[in-house]
Amino acid sequence: MDSRVSAGELARLGVTVRIPATLRTYTSGQDEVLLEGSDLATLLRRLDEAFPGLRDRILDETGKPRPYVNVFVNEELVHEPLPQVRLSSGDVVHILPSVAGGSIG
Amino acid sequence: MVNVKKGSTVVLVGTKKGGFVFHSADRRRWSLLGPYCEGMPVYHMILDPRDGRTVYAAAPNPGEVWGPALYRGRLGSNLAVTKAAPKFREGSGLALKQIWHIEPGPADAADTLYVGVEPAALFRSDDRGDSWSGFDSLNYRPGRAQWQPGFGGLCAHSVLVDPRDPRHLLVGISSVGTFESRDGGDSWTTENRNVRADFLPTKYPETGQCVHHLTWDSAGDGSIFHQNHCGTYHRGPGGGAWTEITKGLPSDFGFAIAADPLHARTAYVAPLLGGGNRVPPKSQLAVWKTTNAGRSWRRFTQGLPGPGAFMGVLREAMATDAKDPVGAYVGTNTGQLYASRNEGESWKAVTVSLPPILSVSAGIAR
Repeated sequence: MDSRVSAGELARLGVTVRIPATLRTYTSGQDEVLLEGSDLATLLRRLDEAFPGLRDRILDETGKPRPYVNVFVNEELVHEPLPQVRLSSGDVVHILPSVAGGSIG
Repeated sequence: MVNVKKGSTVVLVGTKKGGFVFHSADRRRWSLLGPYCEGMPVYHMILDPRDGRTVYAAAPNPGEVWGPALYRGRLGSNLAVTKAAPKFREGSGLALKQIWHIEPGPADAADTLYVGVEPAALFRSDDRGDSWSGFDSLNYRPGRAQWQPGFGGLCAHSVLVDPRDPRHLLVGISSVGTFESRDGGDSWTTENRNVRADFLPTKYPETGQCVHHLTWDSAGDGSIFHQNHCGTYHRGPGGGAWTEITKGLPSDFGFAIAADPLHARTAYVAPLLGGGNRVPPKSQLAVWKTTNAGRSWRRFTQGLPGPGAFMGVLREAMATDAKDPVGAYVGTNTGQLYASRNEGESWKAVTVSLPPILSVSAGIAR
């Protein structure tokens, strides 16, 4: 794991996971981390091994992203089941909360 | 850190936009702490009666979308998320939506907590909320697939732990009914006899009743008060069928019910019209009190808003303290908190400026 690596190093080293500000308490303030994982489900398990509890913030017990939590791979919103989302070195995973509004609350 | 004087009355208020703590040495002038979990819905917030210092709150993780959490901290200090939230069994298809109720365990198990959650289930922690175990025989009970949610969701919102025997537990689930265990949660029975379900084809089904809130009668003999979607009830020390005690109240609908901790057979309710119009009868917010397990009721309105009051009182939004005379507290879904320091006879606004109030609890600082 490392933060702030060059594009060339990324391609060689693994998948970058961008951490949203409200979850950086889990990563000691790191805004991105570098991990290996051949698919998105595996990657998030490894993220949790490195930062215990973080996966539970992103996914619920059914293994799906929580409502209003979006996962992007290379700026594409993920709709497929996570084990089916293949990853390669150099990919960038964004985890972002939705911008939700208009409720009575 | 703010030092709250020992012996102060502490009223903890969960709202749609944070938790607020009021404390007072004389119950006349109140000081405000908070907001805690700022901007987030706080479904329940309590002062642990076993030490009079630990505060627990149920709210989403910071950022709100990251799942439910339990918060813990010292009275007067910040609250922090505990190490873990309850989790359903993998493969169950269930996912925790929110924690509705926090119930302290027995007096001699200071680290034990129970939480009732949505989707309806009961969990227990023996380390003050850092790890959890579920009551599988309730949480994955056969027939669960047929459980129907109330308007507020399929939630376990009332949890009672018998102070005489911690293996004796009750859970209220909307809109399924009351479940009871006498073996520490290994097995459960439905306890809905004589409780109406006017919205179902069968008026008195085994399950499907919409229990709104349960609380121990302070008689200490196992008796229970029960506010339901369809009436108000009391169950005596021997258990068994409930006795409907709605007669004398202006409505058979309400959410909140709070027992008087010092006087047996005594409880407070805040009836609402019901149906789709959950506002006080005659547009006058009123607290009704029984001192004889519901054989008769008295209405109190002094200091409460109306006529012209069109707010509601939610299921967790009424509480009592254990001072003498007993203090009573009621919060509205329009953000007003009223307090009585004379056992309901008269009321005074503590604040009228909070977000909609989801829960009110009271304790004594130690």
